[in-house]
Amino acid sequence: MRRYRPADIVDAVVIGSGAGGAPLLARLAAAGLSVVTLEAGRRWSPPEDFATDETEQNKLFWRDERLTTGGTPLAFGRNNSGIGVGGSTLHYTAYTPRAQPDDFHLHHDFGVGVDWPFGYAELAPYYDELEAFLGVSGPSSYPWGPPRPAYPLSPLPLNGAAQLMARGCDALGFRTSPAANAALSAPYYQPSIGWRPACTNRGFCQAGCSVGAKASMDVTYIPLALARGAEVRPECFVTGFERDASGAVTSVIYRRDGADERQRCRSVFLCAGAIETPRLLLTTGLGNASGQVGRNLMAHTGLQLWGSFDTAVRPYKGIPGALISEDHHRPADADFAGGYLLQSIGAMPVTYAGTVARGRGLWGEALTRHMRGYNHVAGINILGECLPSPVNFIELSDETDARGLPKPLAHFTAGENERRLTAHADKTMRAIWQAAGARDIWTFDRYAHIIGTCRMGDDPADSVVDRDGRAHDLPNLIICDNSVFPSALSVNPALTIMALSLRTADRFLARVAQGDI
Amino acid sequence: MTRTPDHRYPVGTVQALLDGEHVTAPTRAALQARLTDPPAAQPDMLGNRVGLLAAVCARLVPQSGSAPVDVAGMLHARLATGVGDGWRYADLPPDPLAWRRGLEGIGETAQAMFDGDFTGLTAGDQDAVLHAVQAGSPAGEIWRELPAARFFETLLAAVVETYYAHPLAQEDIGYAGMADAPGWQVIGLGEREAREPAGIVA
Ligand SMILES: Cc1cc2nc3c(=O)[nH]c(=O)nc-3n(C[C@H](O)[C@H](O)[C@H](O)COP(=O)(O)OP(=O)(O)OC[C@H]3O[C@@H](n4cnc5c(N)ncnc54)[C@H](O)[C@@H]3O)c2cc1C
Ligand code: SF4
Repeated sequence: MRRYRPADIVDAVVIGSGAGGAPLLARLAAAGLSVVTLEAGRRWSPPEDFATDETEQNKLFWRDERLTTGGTPLAFGRNNSGIGVGGSTLHYTAYTPRAQPDDFHLHHDFGVGVDWPFGYAELAPYYDELEAFLGVSGPSSYPWGPPRPAYPLSPLPLNGAAQLMARGCDALGFRTSPAANAALSAPYYQPSIGWRPACTNRGFCQAGCSVGAKASMDVTYIPLALARGAEVRPECFVTGFERDASGAVTSVIYRRDGADERQRCRSVFLCAGAIETPRLLLTTGLGNASGQVGRNLMAHTGLQLWGSFDTAVRPYKGIPGALISEDHHRPADADFAGGYLLQSIGAMPVTYAGTVARGRGLWGEALTRHMRGYNHVAGINILGECLPSPVNFIELSDETDARGLPKPLAHFTAGENERRLTAHADKTMRAIWQAAGARDIWTFDRYAHIIGTCRMGDDPADSVVDRDGRAHDLPNLIICDNSVFPSALSVNPALTIMALSLRTADRFLARVAQGDI
Repeated sequence: MTRTPDHRYPVGTVQALLDGEHVTAPTRAALQARLTDPPAAQPDMLGNRVGLLAAVCARLVPQSGSAPVDVAGMLHARLATGVGDGWRYADLPPDPLAWRRGLEGIGETAQAMFDGDFTGLTAGDQDAVLHAVQAGSPAGEIWRELPAARFFETLLAAVVETYYAHPLAQEDIGYAGMADAPGWQVIGLGEREAREPAGIVA
């Protein structure tokens, strides 16, 4: 690996190595720029370090304490974000559907929320590129959205929950399809990366993939970036910036082994995720002329519905998210803006038990009896739209963490639109699970993915970054992660974050080519 | 009437899996340690309330086996590491203060409802105390400041997640996911692979 010295002025420092940071790191390095990524977490070696055990794998999650409040307080930790080279892709389920064109103009269609400054057409080539590079498994023809190329690999096999969802949807006339999963259904080769093996149906994507079949960033864009000359500097926690008289950032300050170090640079890409990114800007006071940093927090409506079946499911096996339906993307009978997709889900024992405890409040014999039926439970969930609201935001709390930095405090209260959408989805999913033969049906009302806390837009008064990701009031600070999304999109976010990451790099490189940087 | 599915594995099933060839080294290391090593001794984080916590755990996750899982000891050991879940309701104080206060509150409620120490109550009375805390407005001074239902949810989730992380609890629900090598080929509905043991009842 190439190593830079702190005194070297590198072309760019990238903060964070997840979905937003890793692809652009590789792109900038491939263009010949000198780039260093500073990552708070470790560099893991999955075959030796990853156990098929949830408690052991808690090390993949961001466990510095975050405070949560509001009418429907958000859960973080295992429900939210990761740490380590690869970021949250280390533990994502690898569901990689594309957003649909109308996801980008919710305001135009419904008069609520805001539109993206560009549309689907701008991201489509990046979606194509990503699916080919990551090796996404999926159907040869996808039933929803605009025409698109076939997925490079055939779909992964359907597990019990997926078969049950297919059964229920068939009975009700809803279309289903094998899902797009960024996990390999066959060995796959990419230059500079080599062969990655096929998924072994181990079912533990949310606890890290020990075989490297899942396209987390640590086995895809990070090795590519390293091969192109980038430096990845793990266990470096960024705490601040140095700036020159014009206000431009000149170096990034970080803590390693308890001591402060700095890396000089010409530009900074802040890709620390939708909580740490605004937190860092709020603690340093940067990029917030609009007062919008931390505002517009959205979280996908993510209602889960569970049931018990006479036939054994053994819900720990198979890619957790094997089946999808987007028939409710814009439901005809909706009394809300936007829509949702439906997915089958897996159940690892500890996470499932925790869900039963929080969601149903079961304990004692009622709990242990229910858990003895674990092998017969199966679940489905939605991922749905969420509108920005002035009452939902991230701020700094009065409490400090072990580093002396203020802990973030998230306010979240589901609004009327989220409640109506969730009620619609509850009815739909209940009908599907009844048709599939479920008993003892229950729901867990949950919100997933933190989105929108450094919104992208053309108007510096109500957004933090421009359409190229540049902070309106600090041009050599660029942001790229889930925080810049103007709207939530009714799909899982990672593929779109990666697409944005490649686009952000290309826009930056275009300015480099023009001599603007 | 359909029978409630019950998928318990015979005692010793998980140890046999761990001793076999179908478990990867990192998985074996994590589970074997949890199975054989008692929770590390810790300085008292709970102001002399580990016994009370153990009594609460015994009601939240009742165990019938001859060698019960030491859930309270595992929780206490985790509290001592200072690493939690990564989040907390803003209206609860930080761990381990929340735990100390909450356990003290359970003690107060036991006194108010049954005029005795929680640990000395009958199982039924203990359950009544815990139900009152879960319902959100139990008797006791502590609960004026500490939101009871929130505390109970946090406590319950921690107890349950600690218990079901233990190989013996996983045996009790017929979980075989730790047999992670070489992966699963037979994954469909109602399908069982040869190395997945059959349950006692189902
Ligand atoms: C259990 C679970 C399952 C999921 N499944 C899916 C799925 O199937 N499909 C999907 O699309 N999405 C999924 N997601 C969401 C997806 O993982 C995230 O949306 C995505 O990874 C976010 O990308 P990001 O770049 O915004 O942040 P991250 O990927 O979280 O990257 C941020 C990185 O910045 C680092 N960092 C933060 N602060 C600092 C600092 N101060 N200094 C240095 N480094 C720092 C972090 O350690 C981290 O590595 C899932 C999430 C969870 C919790
Ligand atoms: S299910 Fe497949 S992709 Fe997911 S963690 Fe297991 S082997 Fe990796």
